[in-house]
Amino acid sequence: MDALKPALHVVLTITKWLLLAFFLAVALLPLLWLLSNSFKTNLEMQVSPFALPKAPTLENYVNAVAMADLPRLFLNSVVVAFSAVALNLAVCSLASFVLAREIFKRREFVFTMLTAGILVPIISFMVPYFVLVTATGLYDGLLALVLVYAAINIPVSIFLISSFMGSIPKELEEAAIIDGCGFVQRFTKVVLPLSRSGLVTAGTFCFIYAWNEFVMAMLLTSSVSSRTIQLGIRFFTSQFVTDYTGMFAAIVLSIVPSVAVYAFLHDKIISGLTAGAVKG
Amino acid sequence: MRGHAKNKPVMIAIFLAPVLVLFCAFFLYPLVFTAWTSLLRWKGLGATSFYGLTNYIKLLSDPTFQLSIRNNALWALAQGFVQVPLATLVALILVRKPRGWQLLRTLYYLPNVVSGVALAMVWVVMYNPQYGAINALIKLAGGTAHNWLGDPSTALVAVMAQAVLYIGYFMIIILAAAMNIPLELYEAAEMDGATALQQDFSITLPMIRATLVTSATLAMAFGMRHFEASFLMTGGGPAYATSTMGITLFLKMDALRYGEASAAGMLLIGFGTVVIVLLRRVFGRNDPMSEQAS
Repeated sequence: MDALKPALHVVLTITKWLLLAFFLAVALLPLLWLLSNSFKTNLEMQVSPFALPKAPTLENYVNAVAMADLPRLFLNSVVVAFSAVALNLAVCSLASFVLAREIFKRREFVFTMLTAGILVPIISFMVPYFVLVTATGLYDGLLALVLVYAAINIPVSIFLISSFMGSIPKELEEAAIIDGCGFVQRFTKVVLPLSRSGLVTAGTFCFIYAWNEFVMAMLLTSSVSSRTIQLGIRFFTSQFVTDYTGMFAAIVLSIVPSVAVYAFLHDKIISGLTAGAVKG
Repeated sequence: MRGHAKNKPVMIAIFLAPVLVLFCAFFLYPLVFTAWTSLLRWKGLGATSFYGLTNYIKLLSDPTFQLSIRNNALWALAQGFVQVPLATLVALILVRKPRGWQLLRTLYYLPNVVSGVALAMVWVVMYNPQYGAINALIKLAGGTAHNWLGDPSTALVAVMAQAVLYIGYFMIIILAAAMNIPLELYEAAEMDGATALQQDFSITLPMIRATLVTSATLAMAFGMRHFEASFLMTGGGPAYATSTMGITLFLKMDALRYGEASAAGMLLIGFGTVVIVLLRRVFGRNDPMSEQAS
């Protein structure tokens, strides 16, 4: 029996690393393959799809920017994503402040209602969003997307920001009250500055959502001038019908912002995801 | 003390107002609107009339919508009973903090921050029958190429496979719960001579049961509302093989059948709620709201 133990240990260790390697390959290889092929010519991609580019070329990127009107799409997405984050954080930090630090009637109810929004499948709201946006004259404008994205992220942001604000010691506010701070100053001078980390976490989730969102952008805009980057790379595929590597270059460019944000703020994302798990 | 006792309720109302306005406009109003219009005969711009449950009856007796419901149920099962167990397996490995575990955790989640549009386009090319990577690997292994997304009998599995293997989201949640278990429990087991595998089964898994149930519930709720990857990779085809309730909703709306689209929306919400309530009944009280999705 004991003679088997070292052998079993070796088998388990190998299995363990094979599993980790497999899921790493699933997560990364398609994206690395995309990146690698975006530096090849179409001919090279078809002849040797798996090899690294022999003579990396930036031509695909030049073509993608010229053909797909990429700068315009990028600008639209940047405007929408940053505005949605700003609006979402503004309204959610105000609400979270009173939800986390004031006692009032129906507080539990309001908090539960707002965070329960997470359980609603947003795609079931395609008809009402379309009708609402059309009726208010916001159809085919970036403002519609800003409002929708800011609103859809309310449940996540309220949850993250109010649990962060709830962890700030009461004494700090009491000291501020003695110093003559009113209701508004307690928020602007004490709680808000101390909640920066929670705001960054909520803002990161909101940014990545807004940058990547596709369905509502498709539903609520129609003209090229209000297209976001996601719609752009989706609809301009027809232009790339024979130019796969050009399409790859456009896709790579569309991924860069959200991956860059993740590279810098991944610890915020992970702490945000685990905020609920610890309570279990 | 600038007499804030008097105007405090007013201030609280002012601070809550902006969120409540947005929440009413984009959560409560859509819910009421969808419930109401699902009972109407309403085709786009024209006049509406009360239609009772006709939209629901039409949808539920439509074979393509039945297929959509079945596909969403299969998505729910795949996410709850394949994706979450795989995520648990990886979390059990990473909780022992092997070399590079933090980097691995970060990289496993990376696809979750990449847009669905980009991932769908990459996977469509990966599955391409002529120069896709998957068929190249199969040919390398001596098999024959197959049009995975074009064949109705393989399309659903192909779309599901790439989604279910992205384990990052649930792995991070489960790993966090496992790391929260007091170390003393393991030290005691170690002294009793329990192997790592025995510790996983007798300590870790029972201790994170609540998180596992919550994760499986969330995963199944996500499966019941699955839309984007199928819509982008196959548009619900071929021959509705990958259709989901969300895709039916979109197609009905596109055909200006707003009443039926709303009924599809209500059924989408209804099935998702049933899954959550049912699982909570079966597995006990675990609050899915204590986790948040992204």
